[in-house]
Amino acid sequence: MFKLIRRNLLRNKRRTILTVLSIAIALILLSFLDLLLAAMSGVNSANANRLVVRHAISLTFSMPAAYEQRLAALEHVEGITIMNWFQGRYIDDRPENFFPRFGTDPDTFPDVFPELALSPGEIDAWRAERTAFIAGRALAEEKGWEIGDVITVEGDIYPVDIELTLRGVFTHPTDEAAERVLYFDWQYVEEALGNPGQINSFYVLLDSPDNMNETIAQAEAMFENSPDQVRAETEAAFFLSFLEMMGNIQFLFSAIGLAVIASIFFITVNTMAMASRERTTEVAVLRTLGFTRSRVLAIVLFESLAVGVLGAAIGLAVMPVVTGAISSVLATQGITFSELRLDDRTPTLVMGIGVFLGLAAGLVPALQAMNMKIVDGLRRVA
Amino acid sequence: MTEKLVEISDVTKNYRRDEFSIKVLAGVSMDVTEGEFVALMGPSGSGKSTLLNLLAGIDRPTSGQIRVAGQSLGALNDSQLAGWRHRNIGFVFQFYHLIPVLTAFENLELPLTLTKLSRAQRRKKVDLALDVVGLADRKDHYPRQLSGGQEQRVAIARAIVTDPRLVLADEPTGDLDAASAQEILDLLEQLNEEFGKTIVMVTHDPRAAERAGRELHLDKGRLNSATDTALQG
Ligand SMILES: Nc1ncnc2c1ncn2[C@@H]1O[C@H](COP(=O)(O)OP(=O)(O)OP(=O)(O)O)[C@@H](O)[C@H]1O
Ligand SMILES: [Mg+2]
Repeated sequence: MFKLIRRNLLRNKRRTILTVLSIAIALILLSFLDLLLAAMSGVNSANANRLVVRHAISLTFSMPAAYEQRLAALEHVEGITIMNWFQGRYIDDRPENFFPRFGTDPDTFPDVFPELALSPGEIDAWRAERTAFIAGRALAEEKGWEIGDVITVEGDIYPVDIELTLRGVFTHPTDEAAERVLYFDWQYVEEALGNPGQINSFYVLLDSPDNMNETIAQAEAMFENSPDQVRAETEAAFFLSFLEMMGNIQFLFSAIGLAVIASIFFITVNTMAMASRERTTEVAVLRTLGFTRSRVLAIVLFESLAVGVLGAAIGLAVMPVVTGAISSVLATQGITFSELRLDDRTPTLVMGIGVFLGLAAGLVPALQAMNMKIVDGLRRVA
Repeated sequence: MTEKLVEISDVTKNYRRDEFSIKVLAGVSMDVTEGEFVALMGPSGSGKSTLLNLLAGIDRPTSGQIRVAGQSLGALNDSQLAGWRHRNIGFVFQFYHLIPVLTAFENLELPLTLTKLSRAQRRKKVDLALDVVGLADRKDHYPRQLSGGQEQRVAIARAIVTDPRLVLADEPTGDLDAASAQEILDLLEQLNEEFGKTIVMVTHDPRAAERAGRELHLDKGRLNSATDTALQG
């Protein structure tokens, strides 16, 4: 019986291959969109208990450092730290050498980011030395950094080159992408610049997520009449607003994704319908030979399922290559997502869609084959 | 004593086409004795195929009773009927209807995959059936690599590979040249005489019908059993 299914798939090789390939391509595109979205929204590592305060106009504007004290005084604030995007250039401009480099405050950072695990010894070492930095484990392993290694980052946004010594390697319990980040003491740059006292964003830890909305309102109200007004938002929302300049990306992506699924669904349905229409007589013959209705149903469904699963498998096999290629192309355009990588979820998602497509496309032909009257099927050719 | 393998009593069959109902069989009764070779003749549209399909259990009568080998077909549900067909009926079509993606060997093996037979047992049965039809050397050929006559012989082998008691053939020579038709008729005759298969064959060809032990004539859905002929042969 499996021989029959296999041979039937090979019957019209070009049609089967085209269908399988279009499923594969669609699934690659789909999961790429999904990854891109996840990477951009940073939802993986967002903490529900944190909010981010930044300049009301845009992320490229900064706020006076003195805001930190005033925000810290709000009722539900448990901790606050600063975060400045240094960017710069590490070794060269190749995408693999681009990873987020943040200037922060080692004194307050560990409290606000409790999920980033550092040993007390490492925290102390980081605080003790102005030029110390910490890196996530994934990043350190990728670069082959050991504790004590010294790296140089050339300034681009800021006209300062910094030389940093690795004093700690932190881990994140679930999100490897959160481990591809470097944090150093902003004071280093601040002094080199002559203490301008400008901050990109404040990360604020609350006592409970329930107080999120209240605190957001309080924070925004606090600076309403200042020259530098602020916008406060949840960490997840902040990641997204980071990209709002590109329009409503999430909606756009979902729409594209749905369109892709829909079109590939129709392609598969059409293939299966064509395949089974050609075989009406054969199904009638099988039934005459003693194949039951349910067996005929299974044969058609299996064939269709095989197309879906095959497409998904090919998609999964090529996906790392394609994802890599697209990210390097994006990187040359200055768009870099450190978090753009396949995770455990991807195979499940892709296989799930493949199985769904296969079964859904085969369902109608399979039911038709099952419910066909043998005599009608036999009369088709004569 | 030879026993009755097929008993048809007062079978009618109507086909609905849109609002109209066409009476294809209007009360047919007949018996076929085990070991008989019966030819079923009649003008086009007289209901020959319909009657054969009812016998094969691939269609159901509007009214009346059909018993084959003591089993009343009306008492079986669809999936029981499928199993029954598999065990008792070998069907030969006018257009052979081999599965094009399978070789001759695999076409014969197909019905056997529904049984519990081992691979080796299946192989033995398939080889035997191909031997009977004289195509052992063609077992790895696909249908398109065979002539019409050869295809029909493979189809006959497929019909007997499960060792059914009743072989039904619907115009098995209808699409063949005279020489191939002769071969097919020889083969059917051999199945009947040597292997004791009971055969009911629909045909338009009087010379084909001569090979049978008995001719039945259907006309407008009725059997003219007066034309029963033991005269020939
Ligand atoms: N499945 C069906 N649905 C509707 N009408 C049918 C069906 N099968 C047969 N008929 C009608 O029943 C009548 C008898 O058909 P049948 O195929 O039994 O004739 P036949 O004697 O085998 O003819 P032929 O010699 O041309 O094969 C025809 O009028 C045909 O149109
Ligand atoms: Mg007919």
